[in-house]
Amino acid sequence: MKQAGSSNIFSIKNRLLRLKRDSNRWSLITLFLVFLIALPVISIAFKLFDGPGETWPHMVKNLLVQYLSNSFYLLIVCSFLVLLFGITTSWLVSRFEFPFRKQLEWLLILPLAIPSYIVAYAYAGIFDYGGTLELLQRFLGIEFTRIDIMNRFGLAFVLSISLFPYVYVSARAFFLNQANNLLEASRVLGVSEWNSFFRLILPLARPAIIAGLILVLMEVLNDYGAATYFGVSTFTTGIFRSWFSLEEPETAIYLSALLILIVFALILFEKWQRRKMQFTNAKIGNQRIYRKTVSKKMQLLILIIVSFPVLFGFLLPLCQLLYWAFLTYSAVFEYEFLMLSLQTFGIAIITAAVTVIAATALIFASKWNRIGIIKNISRLGVLGYAIPGAVVAIGVMIPTIHLDKWLMGVLNSAFSYSSGFLIHGTLIALVYAYVVRFLAVAYNPIESTTLKVSDTIPDASKTLGVGNFKTFFKIEFPLIKTGILSGFILVFIDVLKELPLTLILKPFHINTLAVKAFEYASDERVMEAAIPSLFIIFTAMLPVLFLNKLLVNK
Amino acid sequence: MLRIESLSKSFDKGKTFALKDVSFSLKEGDVYAIVGESGSGKTTLIRLIAGLESPDHGFIELNGVQVSSIKKMVSPEKRKIGLVFQEYALFPHLTLFQNILYGISKQKNKTTRATEVLELVGLAEMKDRYPHQLSGGQQQRVALARALAPNPSLLILDEPFSNLDAMLRAQLRNEVFDIVKKAGVTAIFVTHDTQDALTVADEILILQKGKLVQKDAAANLYTKPSSVYVASLFGNTIQLSKELQSVFECPLKADCCHAIRNENIAINDECEYVTNATVLKKTFMGSDTQLYIKLDNGEHLTVITKHSHIDDRITIGFNSKDVLEFKE
Repeated sequence: MKQAGSSNIFSIKNRLLRLKRDSNRWSLITLFLVFLIALPVISIAFKLFDGPGETWPHMVKNLLVQYLSNSFYLLIVCSFLVLLFGITTSWLVSRFEFPFRKQLEWLLILPLAIPSYIVAYAYAGIFDYGGTLELLQRFLGIEFTRIDIMNRFGLAFVLSISLFPYVYVSARAFFLNQANNLLEASRVLGVSEWNSFFRLILPLARPAIIAGLILVLMEVLNDYGAATYFGVSTFTTGIFRSWFSLEEPETAIYLSALLILIVFALILFEKWQRRKMQFTNAKIGNQRIYRKTVSKKMQLLILIIVSFPVLFGFLLPLCQLLYWAFLTYSAVFEYEFLMLSLQTFGIAIITAAVTVIAATALIFASKWNRIGIIKNISRLGVLGYAIPGAVVAIGVMIPTIHLDKWLMGVLNSAFSYSSGFLIHGTLIALVYAYVVRFLAVAYNPIESTTLKVSDTIPDASKTLGVGNFKTFFKIEFPLIKTGILSGFILVFIDVLKELPLTLILKPFHINTLAVKAFEYASDERVMEAAIPSLFIIFTAMLPVLFLNKLLVNK
Repeated sequence: MLRIESLSKSFDKGKTFALKDVSFSLKEGDVYAIVGESGSGKTTLIRLIAGLESPDHGFIELNGVQVSSIKKMVSPEKRKIGLVFQEYALFPHLTLFQNILYGISKQKNKTTRATEVLELVGLAEMKDRYPHQLSGGQQQRVALARALAPNPSLLILDEPFSNLDAMLRAQLRNEVFDIVKKAGVTAIFVTHDTQDALTVADEILILQKGKLVQKDAAANLYTKPSSVYVASLFGNTIQLSKELQSVFECPLKADCCHAIRNENIAINDECEYVTNATVLKKTFMGSDTQLYIKLDNGEHLTVITKHSHIDDRITIGFNSKDVLEFKE
């Protein structure tokens, strides 16, 4: 054999030969998993060809503008507020020493433990007629001045105060790991603290901050409970309305498709703003930041600023809920409630287990597959997290109903057995939708622990005669189990808090704590929503702290 | 026992080649060294042999069976190749003994075999320790024992001594290759240190930018390097340009390229080709002295001598048998 020209090596025939050689069952499994995750979006895209429903022209003329303007209003105002809360608090706790700094550092994450619709209920209770504020003012003998928060600004504030920790966490991680040396260099060069922050630190932190902001915006678009309670019409409430009130799936599907476009635009924007930002990954030493000590007056001022979001995002709603819980516990706390809690935890455990298995399978199948393109495709599996729950629910409903009709047909003709829906309206469809939406939640921690295990470790196992599958159980699993555990816990919490997807897909006889709280609130019995809400919050609180530790260690 | 034919591998679809058209074969029982700078394709080559990468072109034959080609890949776990990784890749959650048992768990006399290889590397009394409780040199020996335990037909060591300090390195190098020789296994070891290669290898393969430039016994590589690059791997050389040839009055073939090793330049007038030079600077370097000299035609050279007393005017020269000739 003589010198082989590179053109020959990469001829189409040789490429195909290698593709055939490199394809294995893991390539197929990877593609299959990605297909399952993408199926809801694909279904929505295909359903668009069926044309819009009868009310669509009416929708476009009268409601779409309202949905668009409200949704964009929320995106803009929330962006402004979460950046304000998130950046100020994260910089102050990273840069300055003041009393209770350590406690506040983790308290600032706790608003994440309260789902935003529950914060909305609490705020409504505080500011409503006969609400806590009125009682308090009357008690103090001040004339009652009512502040109306049941509007879109009130909604934006409630969403921001409960979601800003996403920005806080990612900005603080950057400030703690990267900012110290840069700031010292800048100060040595004679630039003031204020200027250094705005000219150096903030531009460098931008990718981290925007990554956090995008998560917030996705949650804003995902929200149903708070918006519907405050009476603000958004895309998500519009989807619910066309599905349940107008009973027009086609319209809901068209709205979903529009919402998907908005979300993808956000994702593209996030990728674009990070395009040349490798420098944020550069190792600039991992010394801890040197915190400045300032005058007592300044310390007090900082303390007040940093406490504000904790007070309004966590303590205030929590107190309101505790007060309601005190008033209603005897009525709510019954046998049914216990069963409801067990049911919720059961669903969350099943979902967390399935999701963790799916995420691990996707990560390792893509690793064991030898085709480069398929490795890239596997990353698409995490996009489900960006898609609002209501949209995922509708996307899951379309193929499951089709599959059920087909199954019923088969069963009927083969065994003349007429079954009901086998998947649609059952736990299977619900858990499937949860997996689509929360795969990324499990995927990220598992992937990051997997990356910490050097590739040579499984390679060594293979050269010792042990195959992929056995290597996973004997070597990799013991080394990545902390990642798997954190993935499990995070999905568990997300399922507890999830509302819109659950409302659409939950089986008729099954309920969750979140749905129960929502039902109480919708039935004008918002006080009774406190007990299920507190159950969710307390379960969510411990892992939020755990998540914090994970992020700080990273 | 190993035959490689026009093996190529590119990681960017043919823009650059990590390995390009490499062919060679190895004999049973010998020790081979693969020498090359970082980026020369050494690691790619051994990963291809072990089956951890698949080739873009060419094939690999192990004991007469094709294991890698464009149509076929025998998976690494079925190749019976022992691989000692640069960073050892010991399983951190298993004890030393469990690490060694790992590859032989299906064998009948696995405990006996594990004890045997542990004794071979002299770590029998530490068998219940975990990898992080061992020193770098000990981890290296465990990795070796683990790779030897299943009796591989070929043992590959990737930069086995690069993580160790100089003292330990020399000592461990001899120990490891005593063990390898005792085991009687065909071995390939990868290094960027020519000293390592010269000391222990029966034959050395030189890789440069993904190509195999020479494969020969150590002595031959030194006396008959195929290129200036190969010559320079085994010590400093001085290229004999047209000017230098005329200064030393040594006419050489015009269509070839010539060089002389630094250590073959002598300070006396008994050589075949000589010239006079002025010493500009003497640097004491322990056993040697480095001289920075100016030839009478104005050219500057650096030569090394064992003499400690050097005059300011010297005669330097070399012999024709030491002239290296390359076709370039």
